Amino acid sequence: MAEHTVAAFDEDLGQISRLISDMGDLAGTMVGGATKALLNSDNALAQRVVSDDAIMDARQRELDDRAITLIAKRQPMADDLRHVVGSIRMAGDLERIGDLAKNIAKRVGSVGLTATPRDLSHSIDSMAQLVLIQVQGVVEEYAAGDAAALAKLRNDDERIDVKYTSVFRELLTYMMEDPRNITACTHLLFCAKNLERIGDHVTNIAENAYYVLTGTQLPANRPKQDETAMSAPAA
Amino acid sequence: MKPMLSTELNTPEAVVDKAKIEVKNLNFYYGQSKALKDISLSLPERSVTAFIGPSGCGKSTLLRVFNRIYELYPKQSAEGQVLLDGHNILDRSQDLNLLRTKIGMVFQKPTPFPMSIYENIAFGVRLYEKISKSEMDGRVEQALKRAALWTEVKDKLNASGLSLSGGQQQRLCIARTVAVKPEVILLDEPASALDPLSTAKIEELIDELQADYTIVIVTHNMQQAARVSRQTAFMYLGELVEFDRTEKIFTSPREKRTQDYITGRFG
Repeated sequence: MAEHTVAAFDEDLGQISRLISDMGDLAGTMVGGATKALLNSDNALAQRVVSDDAIMDARQRELDDRAITLIAKRQPMADDLRHVVGSIRMAGDLERIGDLAKNIAKRVGSVGLTATPRDLSHSIDSMAQLVLIQVQGVVEEYAAGDAAALAKLRNDDERIDVKYTSVFRELLTYMMEDPRNITACTHLLFCAKNLERIGDHVTNIAENAYYVLTGTQLPANRPKQDETAMSAPAA
Repeated sequence: MKPMLSTELNTPEAVVDKAKIEVKNLNFYYGQSKALKDISLSLPERSVTAFIGPSGCGKSTLLRVFNRIYELYPKQSAEGQVLLDGHNILDRSQDLNLLRTKIGMVFQKPTPFPMSIYENIAFGVRLYEKISKSEMDGRVEQALKRAALWTEVKDKLNASGLSLSGGQQQRLCIARTVAVKPEVILLDEPASALDPLSTAKIEELIDELQADYTIVIVTHNMQQAARVSRQTAFMYLGELVEFDRTEKIFTSPREKRTQDYITGRFG
């Protein structure tokens, strides 16, 4: 893309891109950290994730300020306008991902206090890996300007939904088998739900990023496989 | 990329209204120099069409073809067709006075005649119609109301048109244009010499006038084009590069040259 006649305009847009990139990296670190803390009962790491959320919030506020100032000063058009408006929306989703990671981190203490058999959290681990790949992927593909990869990534959320359904059923089964598992499994269920929600925010980011890059919207419907609302687990 | 040239392709998808003006394969020359290159586009009735592009791209030239005002100058010529309601206005048999009552024009600099506010409007009407004093009073009032100027000048209709502010003078010029009951109004940078408040009044006026008139506006102010028009044409070096719904042009234009121009990446 050619440079703007007004060089400061490029600089302003560049700062917004850098903030999105920073927030994306931080979101990945927070999701990875929260999951690791959960699986290893690592309270120190969980605390770091909680404090990272304040940085995430500050970044989002900075991006909002810069984007609004840019719109007021430069009246962006076409791809520039999509870039600025899309960044505001993506920053909102990244900030929510931070909140959800923090929520997982805050449960580490509660889950860790009870004696939880390792295999209870095993399927959460594999779900978290899927989510982390999505979080890191969406920021990378946006930075690379790869619209096709973003469209694919958005559809890949289906795998997280499928995984969530299976985690949900599995944890319910553990609770029915032994009521002493209920406290830990309930916390883990919330964690799984948070991971599933993170996946949805990644989907939003992918859709926004696709629009910013191409000027067209992805079709409204995408595959959805979260069946926890409609099916009871096998007893 | 080559600009799209056929009339069909140059009608924005969403605009299904009847075409008021159809331009077909129009070329324009200043002496030997070709200023418009094979322009084809269709302007829908009762809506606002904006022409944008850098200086010298031909947008004002195209506007000047629509009422053949270029014929006032030597060595300027147009070839091709410009159909107003299906009739080619470039045809030699076209009555120019009649054409200019149908297609009025407002220029960048307000150009009130050095006469009273009342006479500024009555003068043009008298050229084409013989009407009584009371009818003329009504016509002047109606035109000034149409141009959103009536309340500001109704108590000083005999004051000179030149005594008004720039913004009021421009609205007087629009009132003068409206008074002869045109079908099309051409606006060549109508607000570029005005302060923001006067500009807003002109834009509000354009918005109201489009219910009754087909309006074509040339502007360097892209935000203005985005605000007031329903379809926008981007021109460059005498070519029509892109013509589409205004929202489309300003959010996701098809052509890279359009994108570069409206985002300030040109040249």
